[in-house]
Amino acid sequence: MSSMTALVYVLEEQVRDLLREKGSSRLIDGTAYGFDDWTVFHAYTEQPFTTPSGYVCTCIVVRSDAMGLVDEEKTLAEARHRLDSDERPVIVLIASSDATGSPSCRALVVTRAGVTGADTRFVPRRSELYTRNTGLLETSALAAKRVLIVGLGSGGSPIALELARAGVGHFTLIDFDRLELGNISRHVCGVNDLGRFKTLAVRDQILQKNPYAQVSTMEVNVNQALSQVDEAVAGCDLLIVASDNDQSRFNLNQMSLNYNKVALYGRAITRAAGGDVLRVRPWKGPCYNCIFSSGLVDGREEEMSQKRQALSVLPAYVEEDKINSMIQVGLSSDIAPIANMMTKMALVELSRGIETGISTVDEDLASDFYVWANRREEAYGNWPRMGFKWTHPSILRWYGARVDRDPNCMVCGSHITEDSVI
Amino acid sequence: MAWSSQQSARLRLETDILSRYFPTFSLRDSIIPGHAVVEGTMRSNAGHEYVIRLHVPADLPNSVPVVEIISPILKDRFGHSLVDLGTSYSMHLLKPENGVVRICHYSASHWSPNVTFTKVLLKIRAWIEAYEGHLDSGFPIDHYLPHMQA
Ligand SMILES: [Zn+2]
Repeated sequence: MSSMTALVYVLEEQVRDLLREKGSSRLIDGTAYGFDDWTVFHAYTEQPFTTPSGYVCTCIVVRSDAMGLVDEEKTLAEARHRLDSDERPVIVLIASSDATGSPSCRALVVTRAGVTGADTRFVPRRSELYTRNTGLLETSALAAKRVLIVGLGSGGSPIALELARAGVGHFTLIDFDRLELGNISRHVCGVNDLGRFKTLAVRDQILQKNPYAQVSTMEVNVNQALSQVDEAVAGCDLLIVASDNDQSRFNLNQMSLNYNKVALYGRAITRAAGGDVLRVRPWKGPCYNCIFSSGLVDGREEEMSQKRQALSVLPAYVEEDKINSMIQVGLSSDIAPIANMMTKMALVELSRGIETGISTVDEDLASDFYVWANRREEAYGNWPRMGFKWTHPSILRWYGARVDRDPNCMVCGSHITEDSVI
Repeated sequence: MAWSSQQSARLRLETDILSRYFPTFSLRDSIIPGHAVVEGTMRSNAGHEYVIRLHVPADLPNSVPVVEIISPILKDRFGHSLVDLGTSYSMHLLKPENGVVRICHYSASHWSPNVTFTKVLLKIRAWIEAYEGHLDSGFPIDHYLPHMQA
């Protein structure tokens, strides 16, 4: 062990909970995770709610009695008794209330070499975690907001994390895919999460950014769990669609209109040469079907990032070779601008009616449909070079397109009134 | 789960349009989503009759309906059963199930809620003419019916 004083991080909430317990002081089995040559530890009085990292160490927790006293000899004897042969230290947490009634916590690191005191740091509660954002985003307001994200792949997962960083408090995540090797390079989750449902892995990432977020998950295929998804749409403030097939987008579009929920749709085109983002304000602007039938969105251009996705949209007679050649993925950095645009549009929608630093962005986002090109390829092949001009279309800029509602749209057209579907 | 109110309205709209273009077609078992079918008879220019069954998707109108020809038992010009051909690009056939032929009409990447059953059945009607053309000439069906771009 290095000579520096070890740092031990403890969740303040857990210590408060422990001190609230009545009755006599007793030893509790906690759990701790050590890092970096046993110089840093994260210690918990009970199992953490988010997936921890680090190397597991034994941890024992003791609460001081009504007199503020702890039998240290007995506690240390127990700690030494728990030491095993592999040199891992045992962490001892001693929780008590200080003179003002605030919780405090001492930590000791017990090894075969002896006992050393550690610096204890409380992981602060929400008010302190997010104060840096105050003024730009009223995080206390966004804490009450509920977003539903469908599709937790390379597009949906970074949006989820950014919204957590901005202080959004409630998430429902829908995806039935698991993280596979081929996903990792473009996903916010890493090899530690291989094989896990994307929903659960992303939930843990959200909790790493905002431990107080409420995250529920649904490992279902939207197209086969319509009533469950319908309920989730009804309960959200904003619907974010980052799924990879039009059938799910059509189904979600209908639900967003039914419940009058603003929806954001984003996708990348082949090899992520670019992509587009659509905002649907139900009954006020074009719906997903209006855009689809306008020809602005073409199902054939959609980026195919995995075989399951290709199989679901291609006729059964398409040969294996062709399917494999259609699976062409772009780089994470090509997806990032699309995810970032969706995040900003989401924050604008969620901040509506709340005084925030981003409210002027709303004035600029006059269009409901935005196009982005990463490279002069595919649909953008005939665009001029970027050069120094800004008066012609070029890569790496957002373009808003004016699209109106289609009066003949079979989903939101003029023959269908809002009243007839609600 | 029952049909939603807009799905019920859509079913009424579909049957209204069908009654104009394909009056022999009617909706059956329409109470339970996932079980409903539209069934009727089509007559080719040469006067042959085909019984067509269109399966109404539970997420109507958001996915491609399966369309089967349930009678007669179809054979190609060379006497092979079309069911035995399985999935066939040149004959516009999808993988058959329950021993009946499934026609490839719209692919998922061309589907939208704007496509009505009547539009689907118009494609089936065209397939039947192309099939009879194949029986006469031996050319595969895609000689008469071009493919939509995948
Ligand atoms: Zn529409």
